[in-house]
Amino acid sequence: MIVLALLALAAPAQRGADLVVHADRLYAAPGTVIEDGVVALAGEKIATIARGAPDSGGSDVIHVAAITAGMIDASGRVTPGQLAVEQSREVTPNVAVAVGLDVYDVGWARHLESGVTTVFVAPDSYNVIGGFGIVLKTGGPESIEARTLRADAAVCGAIGGRPSSGNSPASGTPRMKSRRPTTRMGVEWEWRKAFYDAEASERVPERAFPGSDVLRAVLRGEHALVVEAWTTQDIRTAVFLKEEMEREGLGDLRLVIDAGAEAWKEPQLLVRTGTPVVLPPFGDGRVGPERAFHAWNTAKLLRDAGLDVALSSHGAESPATTLGMQAGYAMRGGLSFDEALAAVTTTPARLLGVADRVGTVEAGKDADLVLWSGTPFEPSSRVLGVVLDGELVVDELPD
Amino acid sequence: MLANTLLFALASTGTDPVALPSPVRAEGELAIRAAVVHVGDGKRIADGTVLVRAGRIAAVGAGIAVPDGAAVIEHDGHLSAGLIAMRDYSGSAGEGADSTRPVLPAAELAYAYDPEHPDFERLARAGITSVVIAPPFSAPPVQMPELPEGFFFPGFSFETPSAPLVGGSTALVKVGSGRLVQRRAQLHLSFSESALGQDAAPTSYPGALALLDELFANPSGALADAKSGRLAVVLYAGSNQEVQRAVAFAQRHGLKGAIAGAPRAGELAKAIQAAGLGVICAPFSPGIETRALRAVAELAEAGVPFGFALDAPERDPESLRLGAAACVREGLDPDVAWAALTSSAASLLGAAAEIGSVAAGRQADLVLWSGPPLDLGSTPVAVYVDGQKIHGGAQ
Repeated sequence: MIVLALLALAAPAQRGADLVVHADRLYAAPGTVIEDGVVALAGEKIATIARGAPDSGGSDVIHVAAITAGMIDASGRVTPGQLAVEQSREVTPNVAVAVGLDVYDVGWARHLESGVTTVFVAPDSYNVIGGFGIVLKTGGPESIEARTLRADAAVCGAIGGRPSSGNSPASGTPRMKSRRPTTRMGVEWEWRKAFYDAEASERVPERAFPGSDVLRAVLRGEHALVVEAWTTQDIRTAVFLKEEMEREGLGDLRLVIDAGAEAWKEPQLLVRTGTPVVLPPFGDGRVGPERAFHAWNTAKLLRDAGLDVALSSHGAESPATTLGMQAGYAMRGGLSFDEALAAVTTTPARLLGVADRVGTVEAGKDADLVLWSGTPFEPSSRVLGVVLDGELVVDELPD
Repeated sequence: MLANTLLFALASTGTDPVALPSPVRAEGELAIRAAVVHVGDGKRIADGTVLVRAGRIAAVGAGIAVPDGAAVIEHDGHLSAGLIAMRDYSGSAGEGADSTRPVLPAAELAYAYDPEHPDFERLARAGITSVVIAPPFSAPPVQMPELPEGFFFPGFSFETPSAPLVGGSTALVKVGSGRLVQRRAQLHLSFSESALGQDAAPTSYPGALALLDELFANPSGALADAKSGRLAVVLYAGSNQEVQRAVAFAQRHGLKGAIAGAPRAGELAKAIQAAGLGVICAPFSPGIETRALRAVAELAEAGVPFGFALDAPERDPESLRLGAAACVREGLDPDVAWAALTSSAASLLGAAAEIGSVAAGRQADLVLWSGPPLDLGSTPVAVYVDGQKIHGGAQ
């Protein structure tokens, strides 16, 4: 049906376009494939999509095997590590990772070359609550601000061993980090204290702290809460926190689990709270700092349970951990092509509140495209070109 | 140390032992005739005469009448204004920063230097007559290695950063006399990794920016002076991502001044120019990259005012001229390079009416060179500060 509607679009609209791309198969959105599809771009936006031979009025047309929307990495992690996390306190919702990002970092180009045009960047998990993450394009002007899609999409934090790992008991010479938390229990305590203090701070000003207003907005659901939790134990703690806040009348957290490798163990927790999961890169068994067990069929199991699933590189840098490869690995674990495509385009776009701009190939959306040499996500397929905001920024197309 | 203690004690009683209201009064009048006078703005006067009276330049020109009784010096070489180093640690090594806290807006580097320190004699020999004494801008701290969970080295910590976040006010100082030209020349702010602590707040860029934004939201003292434009700022940044943050911060709070510490800042010349800022270029070192030298030429093309840092005694005082000459090799106009060492530097300090050029009314800081001043084979034959000879032979 969708295909028929698209055919109604007049081909002559391609005339005068800034760039026209034709593909044997245009994957416009999950479930929408246009054979012999043509995308015409005008400025930074997609002007038209249509079926049939391109009519560009004589200007050059790029031809490739397949087109998808630019991919969205739901946990892209191009950060300077500790330099973007304010560790003088455990809970810093008042700061934003955006301030610490380096537009000249080679990590952006690495994303771009693999077909990722939009990323969500969270602060690394050194703090219990590390502050605002940011949704931004991986290319464009040399300014983080100019590349930003949303600076207020989500506040980020972590549950597990990492947020407490730098701290030590107060013995010998006191250090800045002679403090709680030093255990998982302490991390959980910091989370609950932060929300209870934030909620109370409206009535009891002494309980306010830098960023308590931000956490109140999180409790009101104005920002998503992205919590890095690798193991089932830590995912459980996050879900219980959300349920406690609701039960005690503090608010309704829009919880998203990041790096939820072991989400497959207790999916009912996530189902009953409607909690989406961002998966870290697949691997042979145990992954990440917690050595969590990440099964190849994790994405498949979570989708079958009805959960929103987005894939991510989680900052991994090897050619085998690109987002496109993650989609392939998820398919190896049983996920369908359309669901894999959704997990790297429409689902993260919706979770991050940027679905009006990116995630599908349709008229009016940002002109972000991946040009493939063959079927997307197949290990034998290459990314031949990437269009970002209407510009062919990666060009490995054959002459 | 004794000298500093003494200065501090005297200052706190309300007298000022170093800063004098006007240049030292020289005995009589002095006329210097030179084969070439470099005015400082690119102009040269052949067979020019500079008339000095009461520590200031009374007149400059080709046909100046020399008053009766004036001492006359005939110099068969070049004459220029004394050089200005935009950042220096002479006579203040180890005293420029208080590592007990990262924010010290009331600190004044005027109390950190010893005007009689031998470092200043070395500056005089290189033709440098004014320097800005500043807090240290050092290399980034050693990064704590990523340790396994629960593991740390007892007693092994990086307690404080190597440079301050708000380091107080720099001092513009005359070489030779040690006279303070500006007690508070610029307020020192850092956006560099070197101002971040491993075991002290702030530990991160977002934390540092949040703190700086908070300080400037309701400023008092030197911070208020900076926000109102009465006090210039020096925005320290190392990498170009740090320069971007510094420029954005200056625009956010309406600050005026210069970016410093960033060798490649010139690559962002347009943004710096749009923010109305200048640049204090890195001093020359043997390992300096060609890219950094070319970046200086980009500043000139974009019309960004700039001067050069020196960082003596860490660097040889000759590095000042050497840096400017190396930039000429990579495309910088020689007159612009010379201005960066003299008149442009003075403009950046808001002292163009006092120092940096050979013109009537300016303080008589003069260097008699054996040849063209940007030619490194030329040496200062004599150096005058406030009309008093501080270096040189029989002239």
